[in-house]
Amino acid sequence: MTPEVDRDPTDPFIADVTAQRHALPVAPRDRESAAEGGCGVVGLASTVPIAGRHLITPLAQMRNRGNGKGGGIAAVGLDAAAMGVSADVLAEDYLMAVAYVDPAVRDEVERTWLHAAYCVDHTWEVPRLEDWHVLPGIEVAPPEVVVYFVRPRADHLAAFWAQFTPQSGLGPHAKRVEDEYVQQTNHRFNVDYYAGPGGTRAFVMCQGKDLLVLKMVGYAEDVIRYYRLDDFTAHVWIGHHRYPTKGRVWHPGGAHPFVGLNEALVHNGDFANYQAMCDYLAQRGLKPLFQTDTEVAAQVYDLHRRTYGYPLEYVIESLAPTTERDFTQLPPDKQAAYAAIQATHIHGSPDGPWFFIIAESLREAWCLIGITDTSMLRPQVFALQEGPTHQIAFAGSEKQVIDAVLDELAAADDRFWRRADRYWAARGGSHTDGGAFVFEVTRDADGAKHLRCTDKFGRAVTLADVGIGGDGSVDVVDAVRTTDDVATTNGATNGATNGHANGATNGQSNGRAETTASPSPGILPRPLVAAWTEAAATAYLDALAASARPADPAARAAAFAALDALFDGPYDPGALRASRLIAQLDSVLESVVAAIAVAPCEGYRVWAGPGDDAPPAPATTLIVDATGLEIEGPTSLARVLVEAVQAGWRRLIVVGCTGHRFIGAGMGPESDGVRIDVYGASGDYLASGIDGATIVVHGWAQDQLAQIMKRGTLVVHGDVGQAFMYGAKGGRAFVRGDAAGRPLINAVGRPRVVINGTCLDYLAESFMAGDPLRDGGFVVLNGLRSDGRGGWTELATPYGGGNLFSLASGGAIYVRDPHRRVTEDQLNGGAFVSFTPEDWAVIAPLLDMNAAHFALTIDRLLRVDGQLRAPEHVYRKIAPGKVKALQAEEAWVAHAGH
Amino acid sequence: MATPAEPQVATPTLIRKVTHYLHDGFHARCHGEYEAPPALGDARWTADLLMAGWYQSEHGRPPAHLEHRVGASGGGFDRLAFAFRGADDATLGDAGRPSSDRRVGDAKGSAPDDVLAQIDTTIPLNRRDDGRQIVLSAPWYGGGMSFGSVSENVMVSRARAAQAWGTLTCTGEGGYPPGLVPFKDNVITQVATGLFGVREETIQHAPVVEFKYAQGAKPGLGGHLLGDKSTTAVANIRESVPWVSLFSPFPFHSVYSVEDHKKHIDWIRTVNPTALISVKVSTPADVDMVAVGSYYAGAHIIHLDGSYGGTGAAPEIAKKNIAMPIEFAVPKVHRHLEAEGIRDQVTLIASGGVRTAYDIAKAIALGADGCVIGTAELVALGCTRCSNCERGRGCTYGLTTTDPELQAWVQPDWGAMRLLKLYKSLQWQLRDILHQLGMGSVRELRGRRDVLRYVAANGGDR
Repeated sequence: MTPEVDRDPTDPFIADVTAQRHALPVAPRDRESAAEGGCGVVGLASTVPIAGRHLITPLAQMRNRGNGKGGGIAAVGLDAAAMGVSADVLAEDYLMAVAYVDPAVRDEVERTWLHAAYCVDHTWEVPRLEDWHVLPGIEVAPPEVVVYFVRPRADHLAAFWAQFTPQSGLGPHAKRVEDEYVQQTNHRFNVDYYAGPGGTRAFVMCQGKDLLVLKMVGYAEDVIRYYRLDDFTAHVWIGHHRYPTKGRVWHPGGAHPFVGLNEALVHNGDFANYQAMCDYLAQRGLKPLFQTDTEVAAQVYDLHRRTYGYPLEYVIESLAPTTERDFTQLPPDKQAAYAAIQATHIHGSPDGPWFFIIAESLREAWCLIGITDTSMLRPQVFALQEGPTHQIAFAGSEKQVIDAVLDELAAADDRFWRRADRYWAARGGSHTDGGAFVFEVTRDADGAKHLRCTDKFGRAVTLADVGIGGDGSVDVVDAVRTTDDVATTNGATNGATNGHANGATNGQSNGRAETTASPSPGILPRPLVAAWTEAAATAYLDALAASARPADPAARAAAFAALDALFDGPYDPGALRASRLIAQLDSVLESVVAAIAVAPCEGYRVWAGPGDDAPPAPATTLIVDATGLEIEGPTSLARVLVEAVQAGWRRLIVVGCTGHRFIGAGMGPESDGVRIDVYGASGDYLASGIDGATIVVHGWAQDQLAQIMKRGTLVVHGDVGQAFMYGAKGGRAFVRGDAAGRPLINAVGRPRVVINGTCLDYLAESFMAGDPLRDGGFVVLNGLRSDGRGGWTELATPYGGGNLFSLASGGAIYVRDPHRRVTEDQLNGGAFVSFTPEDWAVIAPLLDMNAAHFALTIDRLLRVDGQLRAPEHVYRKIAPGKVKALQAEEAWVAHAGH
Repeated sequence: MATPAEPQVATPTLIRKVTHYLHDGFHARCHGEYEAPPALGDARWTADLLMAGWYQSEHGRPPAHLEHRVGASGGGFDRLAFAFRGADDATLGDAGRPSSDRRVGDAKGSAPDDVLAQIDTTIPLNRRDDGRQIVLSAPWYGGGMSFGSVSENVMVSRARAAQAWGTLTCTGEGGYPPGLVPFKDNVITQVATGLFGVREETIQHAPVVEFKYAQGAKPGLGGHLLGDKSTTAVANIRESVPWVSLFSPFPFHSVYSVEDHKKHIDWIRTVNPTALISVKVSTPADVDMVAVGSYYAGAHIIHLDGSYGGTGAAPEIAKKNIAMPIEFAVPKVHRHLEAEGIRDQVTLIASGGVRTAYDIAKAIALGADGCVIGTAELVALGCTRCSNCERGRGCTYGLTTTDPELQAWVQPDWGAMRLLKLYKSLQWQLRDILHQLGMGSVRELRGRRDVLRYVAANGGDR
């Protein structure tokens, strides 16, 4: 049966509402005002109420994704007392924030409209700074905002009710009718006071229950500052910087978030089909007022969710359709439903690059939802942290902004620590996760809060994949591991070409002795960690920090080696939470750097800031603290590094990154011998253009790494973001985890890359890297995941995307696929060819290096279900398909041997 | 096809012989010694315009006997004329005159050369007050033509001319052949969607880095080079596989929004903090918004590429059917930048079918600061617009080829000299136009739409 997914003819409510909406007034539309640029977005959902102040620094760090022409926040799960209302009023009344762009109209609005349409139970004057000029990011006076807690007036509601056919005004529809009353009443108001010929005087910023939106012309963190939300708490927050590109005068009404009724939506990206979406909405009686594409997205969402009552899965499908091979992988009933959704609603589906974050306030839950477009064209990261007494989840444009929020929270509240347990990205429009994640905060009868994370299909996302039980305790059931033990993985590090003092990596496996409080520096803690108690860990780390205090180069080298071993793993954290241990390591690293700053030694010194022209000494490592350096531009970290290299430094350590971009770019040709170790939340374009240097990222990396990389080595102890090695010419790269969309696209020459996880999609599209057997390039895709217990597990498939090696004319993919899970239909121009001993001879040396970096031995790689197999039974080779017959001129030149 | 002849690279004797006849032919045709071939040219590039290009490249002056100002396209710049003071505008209508009626020789100016020489034709490229300034001696520079689309000899010819003239030329998207390095101060490095041949050193070489987001001849498509032309030498520079067609993506896979675009520019400026940034875009309906966004992202130059340009290699379906005509886009953007209050902080460059000095002047009067020329330079080197550019051995004049034999027909000494003469002629004509408009500098002409008139199909005003 094909499900009916548009207006249900048996639901008179929908027909009635649609008819009424057609009669609503329209704002004059300026077609050209739909211009929207990119943006920066972040959202969180927490079982613990979060104060606004914790978002200020993180949002400030993301300013470079906006231009100050629009910023806003949304909050759900609010603090009733802070607004002077009871919990009941907060739950039952519509929270209507009216923005008075022209404060003079307030009396008139309240008198002639507000009290006429609504019973006002409470009025909350949103506090604000006395003088907006104290915030330099604000160029236009922010509106005065007044929050009214309202209920529709009974007589008006009754009259409104009377317009419905009798059966649609009954029982189950009562709330829907009331919601619709609010929606239509406020629409008329917005036309009269904002979008219409009367000019921009006032508008309704939000109108749902327990949902607050504030926005203005400026940056999002200034919204928090200006409206004094520092101490204002909520369970769900979203923040948004806008980057509009048109017009000299901006209005707060154009800033994000945009609301439907129960939801607020922010958006990074833009749509090519804004007009088509407007037409789609117009056919259903909806009339955009604020002339940006984000508004129509919010309207489509609200239409499907509230008016049509679709399940969230269908709403997501209508926004980001499942296409191509992913569609064929769906079960037949879903295919039927999705085909119907696509056929009916494709014109309401935003076409183009976008990432939505939605805050939704429902009676049963406070929700945060992140949805990426089918092609995953905008950056997106999700994260989850679970402690014994809290759970918090994130969706954002960059990992660094998530870490920044956690930094803030950890500093203020012992329950949090500085790293999430898990970070991941969604695969847009896929059959695997659907490209969307939903975080719901629910309340028990006794008031306890729970956070549940699911994908588009409602499947729970837990920390089990990273070796952590769902209740916040550690999953100690060893039997689920299919991996080698820690001793084996550790063995691999003996061959490490790691730049730090290598003596340290000869681990001792006696677990007991090292749980004492005074480890001698230089002992590899990796095999010991599993036996650590929290107290032992703290003692070890304190001792580690102390060991670096004296100006002793050897001790400091050993301290860095120990830190690297702990940062990079993989190892079994035993009773400890890995993310918490890493967070502690962050602090140890900070204290080591602080000690070196105070007492430099022959081996290590800290860059002292602009004007520090200390001559480089051979074998001295220069530590650059990114804190306080610009993220981009002439005084950025990246330029400081270039200057250091030009001055003659060769060994550099970068700490304190908060999204700093372009690390390693600008060194110019032939930077052999330069090695940069990067700690913290490094930013986009890292290692771009390097030609000989080595860069090691001790953690996750962001987007656009190693663009046009030519030679050298890049090691990432985590995942990498979008467009990894776009246009690369060569070099070696080793990625411990996954790559997001479009890695190695348009790469040429001889890049040689190992990705130990998987890729979202479009791996090595238009790859042109010659013949791997004759010095060309290739990618090894291992399809494994670190299991959080020091071992590696096989993913269900090494590559889930529908586009692998598309249109490639050179190079090869070597995929570890012993179960033959990758299929022909994922290739578009490529072909499986036989894997020969020559192929193994080419990739084995690279896998040896990979083993040294990630303790993932060749033995482990060749072990399938516990059995050691021959390489040709484990790896498969994908090579370019045959090129069509040479044309006449080619034949001539080929014949000539040129 | 017949069995291929035994191939060999051209010997010096063969080169002398072929180039002698080619040069002789260019001379003879444009001096009326032979009748123009009946199939020469097209409506946009008429036989007169092509031959006028050859003439100028020999004489440094336009020919009196050939219509060197407009084509016969019936649209675009061919429908615009200057409303010169008092004088009857002679811009249009000569093309149909039989060549036998014309006296072979240089065109006459409206004033003596020493008077015209007083008129300033320079334009600055950096209006942002952030470091390096580049002043062009005349309001144009050479457009991107990649190694692969044209030969290294053609590239070096252009680079030499640019250096001698005080202007720039552009790598296009095919990398940086070693022959260009000596001219690097006059060579724009193009960063296009395929990132072919882009390395840190080529970015660091460059006085200007041009981001090619789109090309007016084929908006919505990346650059492409068919397998025929991707010879071993070309593939080596691009580090691709020889004889495989190369299609650059559209758009940049790292840039899907204006904030990505800013990041992209910030990256290049990290690699080369002093380079000026040019953003080359085609002319979609919202081109004004694109221009403003590019400016705020840090661009010094907004380069609008309209739909009339492109070589014969651009796909037919694209080159004639998409993008806004440049004469619509330029005033739209110019006015929008003015309304934003940033017109004087950014250089607006127009390209895409700018053929003649008159086209350049019209684009400036419509609101551009200057132009980029491409095909006009190839015409100076002998192009006949036969549209065989996509074939490896399709260009019998040795321009759009990387075939080791054919490319020998263009030697850089000869090519640079031809281009310099062309530039000289363009500058002389531009000064002549400015003089007739009573202007002392080309900068005064910008945005003076009032000096233009629209010429209806019947020749009258509209």
